[in-house]
Amino acid sequence: MHLLVLSQEKISNMISSTIGIWNYWIVFLLMMIGLFLVIGRKNFLKKIVGLTIFQTSVFLLYITFGKIKGGTPPILNNAIDTIYSNPLPHVLILTAIVVGVATTALGLSLVLRINSEYGSIEEDDISAQDLVDYHDQIESSKKIDKKFVQ
Amino acid sequence: MISELIINAFLVTIMLAIGIALLKTRTVIFTVVLTSAYSLIAALMFITLDAVDVAFTEASVGAGISTILFLAAMAYLPKEEEENLNSQILPAISCMVLGGILIWCSYDLPEIGLLSSPIHQHIVPDYILGSRDDIGIPNIVTSVLASYRGYDTFGETIVVFTAGVAVLVLLKNNTNVSKQKNKKSNGKIG
Repeated sequence: MHLLVLSQEKISNMISSTIGIWNYWIVFLLMMIGLFLVIGRKNFLKKIVGLTIFQTSVFLLYITFGKIKGGTPPILNNAIDTIYSNPLPHVLILTAIVVGVATTALGLSLVLRINSEYGSIEEDDISAQDLVDYHDQIESSKKIDKKFVQ
Repeated sequence: MISELIINAFLVTIMLAIGIALLKTRTVIFTVVLTSAYSLIAALMFITLDAVDVAFTEASVGAGISTILFLAAMAYLPKEEEENLNSQILPAISCMVLGGILIWCSYDLPEIGLLSSPIHQHIVPDYILGSRDDIGIPNIVTSVLASYRGYDTFGETIVVFTAGVAVLVLLKNNTNVSKQKNKKSNGKIG
């Protein structure tokens, strides 16, 4: 009986320690997915989605730090022995969520502007068009030079 | 007490699945819907992690307003993403290396939910007592946001205002430029 209780405790300890790190692992993996979407994909809309993913995973990391086992949400009550989870990360993240939406809106409007200028939101297309424009400029400046020489 | 951490681990695994689906999909509407679902599950996770105010904000602003913004922008953009697999190897390798380093470092982080971890020791008790005795607002997050860090919230409002002005300026120029382009092309044809 004693042994059984001990092993149960061990198992629950094992589960809790695995879960205690599991959250961090997945959050880091989500961060890397977001980073990959930003630096690996050539589509600008996907890059902004990647930024959103990265942001939300950072929020999760912060809120995970603030959690206390058996704690309640940080709203005061009259019970004596209440443990409140840490309210400070919550405040930081509240600010960050709103600023994140502002960033998303600005990024999306930049993407719309780029799309109306180039007709594409793929990075390769846009750099190719820029190259063509640059060559055109060089050609036209050569023509102007010839006119002046004559 | 452990059950909420198990729910938490389950939800975060769903988020990982959504992230992998986002890596695979090439259709813009799927991308937008998956991002919305991702934010919504993040809001659920915030509830299990005792951050009710953050969950509220994430569900309304993160899952609501940014989805509307994405859908509105999507109407003017190409519906499919082009595939180019050549240039993705270097970013993928660097992300994997960085992720490996982060996971390796995660062994040094305190376990989730321990009362003895350093973040709970420093100034938090002061804020909790001060919210009750000095400010008198029962919701500690509100009292910190609006009173202790009131200037910070004011700065946040300025940031949002600046972003709004910038968006308006960009989109206004957008219509002007397209009109000019139309005129130019009409002139060339004429």
